[in-house]
Amino acid sequence: MTSGDFALMGEAALISLGLALASIFLGTLLALVITGFAFAPAAPLRVFYRTYVFLVRGTPVLLLALLMFYTLAAFWGRISPYVAGTLVLMVYLSAFIAEVVRGGVLAIPRSLWDSSRSLGLPRRSVLRHLVLPLVARYSLPPYLNICVMAVKASSVLSIISVWELTMASREIIERTLDVYRVLGVAALFYFVMCFAIDRAGRSVERRLAVRGFAGERP
Amino acid sequence: MGQWLAWAEAYGPNYLEAALWTLGVATTSAAGSLVWGAALFFLRMGGSGAALVDAYVQLFRNTPVLLPIYLIYFGFPLVGLVWPAAVCGGLALVLQNGAYVCEIFRGSYKAIDRVQHDAVMSLGLSRWSGFRRVVAPQMLVHALPALGNQSVLLLKDTSLLSAIAVVELTMQAKVLTERTGTAYAPFVVATAFYLVMVTAVELAFRAAQNRVRWR
Repeated sequence: MTSGDFALMGEAALISLGLALASIFLGTLLALVITGFAFAPAAPLRVFYRTYVFLVRGTPVLLLALLMFYTLAAFWGRISPYVAGTLVLMVYLSAFIAEVVRGGVLAIPRSLWDSSRSLGLPRRSVLRHLVLPLVARYSLPPYLNICVMAVKASSVLSIISVWELTMASREIIERTLDVYRVLGVAALFYFVMCFAIDRAGRSVERRLAVRGFAGERP
Repeated sequence: MGQWLAWAEAYGPNYLEAALWTLGVATTSAAGSLVWGAALFFLRMGGSGAALVDAYVQLFRNTPVLLPIYLIYFGFPLVGLVWPAAVCGGLALVLQNGAYVCEIFRGSYKAIDRVQHDAVMSLGLSRWSGFRRVVAPQMLVHALPALGNQSVLLLKDTSLLSAIAVVELTMQAKVLTERTGTAYAPFVVATAFYLVMVTAVELAFRAAQNRVRWR
């Protein structure tokens, strides 16, 4: 393994990170919409939510990727593997994030709903001043786990020919047979990315911490 | 409908065999992970190996499972260990899931009230029988939901063994796609198999939880 290979893997790691961050962003947006369905007054929307979460969470990422790649190809012809890969991860993450957000909403104590209603707050302010700040605090720790999961899941895209860190490692291994060193470097890159996301999230968590609030870390 | 029936008749046996592989790898690795996770947990509690176990757990929690899969499948033959692909993949799954199981055990150990440990001592139970009769049963109750989640994740991760040519469900679906030229029907069928298996695991763990719940 040469320094050129190392640089190549660094480049590939940035692509992995890009895939993960883009799909976390898009997945979170999609999850917020979907979570809205979970609390919708219309029963079909709630059924849709449950079916969506069941299907996406019960399917391995790799199979989801294969399904979506073939489906997307059938409808739109050739599309960039990076676009397709981001869409796959977006759908995969959205189901997990939606469950986390739903859990956060359910964790809001009943008394707070009652008091906000008794104050006569309009729906918008309830959402802005009650739901949003509380759910952000309740959901952040499990949300961070999902962000780490996103980085790890991006490696699966290598099997369906997306060039990122795992794919680059496999190529270099096939060329040099330097299995241990290449995989060691790949592990190092993944570790740094996951660890950085986790640390960044925890610093946000500390910034959001409110004294006396149940979600506060001791 | 008739088309699907003909299809099921032609390829049903392939899927059933592949599903058995998936189940076999998943249950064997789950059992292995439980043993390995428990070993790591005892090592972690022992004191001297704590830092090492922590480093191991952090490493495996922050790297994708495909890396150990490739490490064992491509790396071990270089040092003379030529194992079947399913064994390589299973071992990789055990190594990673063991790390998670260790964390689950540690969490459920911490959830046990201090008073219980004091009670064990005041009853004059030995360390081992105190653990076996008082601590371990309570740990089980705390750990079951998390173990259920982890089992589902493990079951789904067996699909990654298709990357090293183990003919489990995902690989079978891929092979059939290429052989029959149908775009995504084989994947839909494989998904249905996974959903059934995942649901079965979830129901089994829910039943187990109901049996051990406090009364």
